[in-house]
Amino acid sequence: MKHHISRILPALIALLLTLPSHAALALTHQPHAPGIESKDYVWNKPDKEMEKALGHKGDPVKGKALYKGCTGCHKADASGRDDGSYPQLAGQHVTVLVKQLIDVRTGRRDNDKMHPFAAEEVLTTEDVADIAAYLNKLPTPATNSRGEGKRLEKGKALYVKDCAICHGDNGEGNDKEFYPMVAAQHYPYLLREARIIRDGVRRNANMKMVKAIGQYSEEDLEAVGDYMSRLLPPAK
Amino acid sequence: MKLAVNILAVCLSAGFMASVALASSVNGDPNRGGELAARVCSPCHGMDGNSPVEEFPKLAGIDAYYLLKQLKDFKKKQRESPIMEPFAAALSDKEMADVAVYFGEQKPAPGVVADASLLEAGKLIWQEGNSRSGVPACSGCHGENGEGDEYFPRLAGQHSKYVIAQLTQYREGRRTNDKNRMQAVARRMTQAEIEAATQYIASLQ
Repeated sequence: MKHHISRILPALIALLLTLPSHAALALTHQPHAPGIESKDYVWNKPDKEMEKALGHKGDPVKGKALYKGCTGCHKADASGRDDGSYPQLAGQHVTVLVKQLIDVRTGRRDNDKMHPFAAEEVLTTEDVADIAAYLNKLPTPATNSRGEGKRLEKGKALYVKDCAICHGDNGEGNDKEFYPMVAAQHYPYLLREARIIRDGVRRNANMKMVKAIGQYSEEDLEAVGDYMSRLLPPAK
Repeated sequence: MKLAVNILAVCLSAGFMASVALASSVNGDPNRGGELAARVCSPCHGMDGNSPVEEFPKLAGIDAYYLLKQLKDFKKKQRESPIMEPFAAALSDKEMADVAVYFGEQKPAPGVVADASLLEAGKLIWQEGNSRSGVPACSGCHGENGEGDEYFPRLAGQHSKYVIAQLTQYREGRRTNDKNRMQAVARRMTQAEIEAATQYIASLQ
């Protein structure tokens, strides 16, 4: 038996040597990292790459050049798309941009549309920080899409009761806490994300938010989403 | 002294910004590149880089940095082309830089639109992409008018047949020398979108 192995060993080694080069040719798919579905899930658990990115002083000049590769979807002014397919990014907090980008890279936030453009082979950790620094400095256009405006009072009441504590009275978010600015975000994007957070489908969600909106009806989500989309971004 | 340091710092940062803003220059000799092009490249790519044959790409006006990278990739067999591999393998790094600079400086000729009825649909893909399937707008990387830069090739006026062949290679995973971004894009595009976008590309100047 030993004799047989030694005879085929060179062929086995040759085969193994060919594997990495073939693997390198294939389009890398988004990896899958444990998230909200795992028992010991902790939101925003310290992560080596995130610490490295946040410790790097982002260079907005480099970030602008790198962001070119994102403009095909998020647009040159980072305003995203009215249909909510791509969110507004302009003026978003650095911590939020870094966390979400890294969550997509590592597979904590499922997004196979975005992954090929944010993968490790495309952007270094420092690149992520540079892009975030650039986007954060951009003015946030308040030309985002909004809801129908039918239940704004209800939306406001829900927002004040459940959302403002983290996302701020004016939807400004909180950079230190990694809470996104929701003001001037596209309504269909807010609605979609709130829905998948409520339903436990967005795997990098904050459990506090899952609980806060867990009982929301579709009508509640629409009302609060519409209200948020109308909040004005802080002046830059 | 402090003033001198400040002035130096301003000059350095201005220089750095300029290097980011402008296409990165390749150090090559366009005259020697032209001589090489006449001997080696012109039968397929045309003397002025405006290839007369649809299967072979126009090189005129493509950033020298991009052209140089492609030549190096052919030589290293990181970009598949049985035709280009032996030619690239015969060139030194210096010769590659010379031809890259030469073709980069040539004036691109307008492309030929074979089916104008596809231009409207092509323009939509070019400017907006397809957000449902995740096709980015081509203009995001390749420039509003397809002018390209050092990392993303100029496409304006390029032969449709050639662009279709490249998109097909990307889709089939045979072209992989761009960190796989175009592989993702090409796989998301329908054949109709590819036909339309490539007609629009041919119309750009």
